[in-house]
Amino acid sequence: MSDAGTKTILQLRNLRKSYPSSDGAPLEVIRLREFELGASEQAVLVGQSGSGKSTLLNLIAGILLPDEGEIRVNGTNPTQLSEAARDRFRAANIGYVFQSFNLLQGFTALENVLLGQMFGGGNGSTDRAVQLLKNVGLGQRLHHKPRALSIGEQQRVAIARALVNAPPLVLADEPTGSLDAKNGAAVLELLRRICADGKHALLLVTHDPQVMSSFEKVVRLEDLQ
Amino acid sequence: MNLVKIVGKNMRQRALATWLTGASVMLGVALAVAILLIKQGVQQRFEQGTLGYEMVVGAKGSPLQLVLNTVYNLDVSPGNVSWKLFEQLRNDKRVKLAVPFSVGDNYKGFRIVGTTDTFFKDFEFEPGRKPELASGRIFNFSEASLMSAFREAAERAREREARERGEEVKPAPEPEHAERPFEAVIGSTVAEQTGLAIGQQFIAAHGVQPSAEAKLHTKNPWTIVGILQPTHTAVDRAIYINLDSFYHIEGHELRAPTGQEKPAAEEKDNDPDPGQVSSIVLKLRSPIMAFGLYREINDREDAQAAFPAAEIRKLFDIVGNIDKLLLAQAILILVVGGVAIAVSIYNSMSERKREIAILRALGARRSTIFSIVLLEAVTICLFGSALGLVGGHVVVALANGALYKASGFVIPAFHIQPLEWYVLGVAVILGAAAGLGPAVGAYRTDVAKNLAPTS
Repeated sequence: MSDAGTKTILQLRNLRKSYPSSDGAPLEVIRLREFELGASEQAVLVGQSGSGKSTLLNLIAGILLPDEGEIRVNGTNPTQLSEAARDRFRAANIGYVFQSFNLLQGFTALENVLLGQMFGGGNGSTDRAVQLLKNVGLGQRLHHKPRALSIGEQQRVAIARALVNAPPLVLADEPTGSLDAKNGAAVLELLRRICADGKHALLLVTHDPQVMSSFEKVVRLEDLQ
Repeated sequence: MNLVKIVGKNMRQRALATWLTGASVMLGVALAVAILLIKQGVQQRFEQGTLGYEMVVGAKGSPLQLVLNTVYNLDVSPGNVSWKLFEQLRNDKRVKLAVPFSVGDNYKGFRIVGTTDTFFKDFEFEPGRKPELASGRIFNFSEASLMSAFREAAERAREREARERGEEVKPAPEPEHAERPFEAVIGSTVAEQTGLAIGQQFIAAHGVQPSAEAKLHTKNPWTIVGILQPTHTAVDRAIYINLDSFYHIEGHELRAPTGQEKPAAEEKDNDPDPGQVSSIVLKLRSPIMAFGLYREINDREDAQAAFPAAEIRKLFDIVGNIDKLLLAQAILILVVGGVAIAVSIYNSMSERKREIAILRALGARRSTIFSIVLLEAVTICLFGSALGLVGGHVVVALANGALYKASGFVIPAFHIQPLEWYVLGVAVILGAAAGLGPAVGAYRTDVAKNLAPTS
């Protein structure tokens, strides 16, 4: 159980991740004893630039594999799955919002959201994608390509895409890092509001004090070591 | 959203590269298709052209030359055979029809062929198809007149030889041109390209090939009396004149047929040969009799027989190797197209790596990414090949006008060859081969590294 006494959606134990450095010696970037996040809980993970925040999110998403330790997302340890099964698991259980939005430029806002649905095994209906884009205020911008959208709008498309498969866990890697203060605040407010429906846990990493001040649960990466 | 849509989007996003690489494949396929069509069409036309010419008899020499000269009005005649041989063959019980041909002149490059009225009345150039008049009538022909022409020609030959020996020769009286028909029936292409019409006259030039130095038969202008309907065979490009008038023309003298030492006119036997022709086309009563007659003629010293169909097959066996070279060239172009696709996709891989990483982060499997890149290469190849298939047919259709003017026949441009489906198959394999390297690269893309912010 998490701190809030709800079902635990994310569990990390004794996690280690190293990269080979230029001289060949392993360079440890993640060393984490324990971390838990309850369903519908929202937490911010704080750390200096280069402290391994993005690496941690990639480990949780199953994009990277840890050298040691255990990761459980919604009760499943994705590291024990085959790569293909881990990809399917990620699509269905984890929504990922990136600092640089990572929208596909050749696709419209709606198509970008539908891509997320496609890999999550969606039924091919556009209804949910359209509804989500309306929820983030882009009902009139469905068929615009990323270049035709403002950066704030692009990040809102990325939020809709992350939520299209109704994942129990949403990871957000510096989601306001590329936005100005006004857009950043609006996007953060939107992300937190949408994830506050009780169906999604939100783990957001940032080094922005402004962002961390709006969260009740603030975890410093160095405190987890 | 599905894989095909993703591939389509990728191709549209890189429209210029897609078009250029697709175009290189298109060129290769179009060339391959055009070569196939032209080869098949020409071979078919040539083989079809031999259908009415069961056996050709002519002077000893190359049987292919004899066939090309007699059936297609190409090349030069290997020599003459005697009129006596023609009469023997005409009276042979195994022969249903014998038609004599004599060549030696041209008009603006169109072959002038001396023959008899049998050519129009009884000769089927293809089964069930005789040369039919579009307008006018056929020329007048009389065998008695032909014999008289042979005598005149023999007389001229004697005069020439006497002059060569330095003897004084009393000139023979001028041929009675007014009584000679000097009539011509022209093929449809000749009419179309020369503008000659019924009642008009033309002057023939000596020799079967046009030449600025050629002697013109100005004393004997020919009058057009008939124009033939198009046959899409060599008949369309020929000018048919009556054989009797042909031998009234100065220069058309009797020469020693192959295997004889002296001119026919000087033969001293009891049954001298009255004249000669360039070749004889035979139609036989039964194909079973063909080989016996063929052997008999080829055993003679003064003549040979040839089966046009067999000679043309031999010709295409030789030409087939050139086709293979051209086809190999087309395949090379196709391979270059494949390499261009691989290079184009490779060049776009740096920007694709981020897209691939995004798709992977969204849950796309490695195999899905591999399939997207491979499908894109195959689609470009298929797309280029489909355009190439259509393009090849269109090129042949456009070239048909020039081909008709040059050869008198057209190639069925929109007849799909079974081999074309293999070309499509090859394109798929080529596309897959071209896409394999980039697809493996995409498969191995480092997701975490490529998801990092770029700015």
